Amino acid sequence: MRAPSLLAAPGRSARAAALHAGRAGMLGIATLRALAYPRLYARATIQHAKFIGLDSLPLVLLMGALSGAVMAQQTMYQLSEGLPREIVAGGVVGGMLTELGPVLTAVVLAGRVGAAIGAELGTMKVTNQVDALLTMGRDPVVELVVPRVVAGTLILIPLVMLANAMGIFSGYVTSVVILGMSTGEYVDGAKGYYHHGALIFSLVKAVAYGFAITFISSHVGLRASGGAAGVGRTATRAVVAIIVSIMVLDTVLGPVYKTLT
Amino acid sequence: MIRIIGVHKRLGGRPVLSGVDLDVREGETLAIMGPSGTGKSVLLKHIVGLFDPDAGDILVDGISVPSAGRAEMAAVRTKTAYVFQNSALFDSMSVRGNLLMGLPPGFCRGRAAKCEELVRTALDHVNLEPEVLTLLPAELSGGMQRRVAIARAIIGKRRYVLYDEPTTGLDPVNATRINRLIARVSEDVDATSIVVTHDVESAFFLADRIALLSGGVVAAEGTPRQLRETNNRAVREFLDAAPARGPA
Repeated sequence: MRAPSLLAAPGRSARAAALHAGRAGMLGIATLRALAYPRLYARATIQHAKFIGLDSLPLVLLMGALSGAVMAQQTMYQLSEGLPREIVAGGVVGGMLTELGPVLTAVVLAGRVGAAIGAELGTMKVTNQVDALLTMGRDPVVELVVPRVVAGTLILIPLVMLANAMGIFSGYVTSVVILGMSTGEYVDGAKGYYHHGALIFSLVKAVAYGFAITFISSHVGLRASGGAAGVGRTATRAVVAIIVSIMVLDTVLGPVYKTLT
Repeated sequence: MIRIIGVHKRLGGRPVLSGVDLDVREGETLAIMGPSGTGKSVLLKHIVGLFDPDAGDILVDGISVPSAGRAEMAAVRTKTAYVFQNSALFDSMSVRGNLLMGLPPGFCRGRAAKCEELVRTALDHVNLEPEVLTLLPAELSGGMQRRVAIARAIIGKRRYVLYDEPTTGLDPVNATRINRLIARVSEDVDATSIVVTHDVESAFFLADRIALLSGGVVAAEGTPRQLRETNNRAVREFLDAAPARGPA
């Protein structure tokens, strides 16, 4: 009699996951369909772009600066004797463009924007505001999901680029001020590593993460139930789901880099 | 006309509606009354397609709501307005923004002056001053929120206005105000109104006709006078148990 009960929980989880994926798929199709009517969501998109982009900028720049500084120090400290110190700059540029810039920006936005969208849409769901939209003949996908997804997908591109630039710059300051490198060594190392493929890879990740953050948080928010406690759970669930997705996307997108180099 | 035909609905495995039949006539105010948890709000939500019945049909001016396609559903929703129990105002929008949402999508494009006039007229209907237009819902009292919700429902001059427990959670003074407001607004905008309530006094004050929902079916139906005089057991039990609140 133990076997069925042991299988029941994974079975339920698998069914719930399949149901969730199906609903997310349907929301994805509805979102793509709604994209055809920019007049309906353009204004709201600009407002969300401001919240997602401008308001997140200080935190994104700070994370970029810190990660560039850490990257420079760790590369230098782990450098085997005899290797050229220019590698430090290469490590910073490569690390920032391909990994730290996009991933850390996405993680910052998962906490700041993903939780906010999940909680906001979750509150709207549990207080009947989403139903109110429906009864007024308005499409919640057009009104609530599309502006956030479009804004998030587009705005992450400049945010990631700024985080990259900030990281590379702070790597330079750290290398020169703390690690004793010359400007020439850092610039040569950075030039030696840099190639357009890495920059394009960074852009691809920015778009993928921007979509994932806003789409997942919207989807989770619109499935909220259970009053204030339910909204709290929704915000947590949104952040967890986004961070897992970022890491999954990071892995899945890995081979894209190879095609760009 | 709205026709509810043999509607069955189970929620969480429990039967909530077990064959509800009800007609709502043009121009009348129908109160759907009954104890809490008898599916009054669930029934109301079926009319605007927020719930699909397990069996049965709902016809709004001949359109079957459960089987309506996108265009037909849009047509139903341009005729109906729904006032939610908790007002359901959009909390990130000002009162003006909320009222404008009650107009059809795209209606105000190129017609800003007309829309502003409609906003002020709707506000006037519910006895609110233009000063509230810039306020957020959180800055309004519960009674004012309910009035804004009613203004949002009537601004688009919809043919059917559905009120879900409009006086729940309000103090007696505000509840009386809202009842009077609904009665006046129904006349002013010439709408057919359905009021779901467990408040006996509200129902008797507002309704041309009352339907008592009990045990998942319409247990009794008639004018307020007919219901007061009936010997129907469900009606008597409900009316005798209802607390008095004071004159509406």
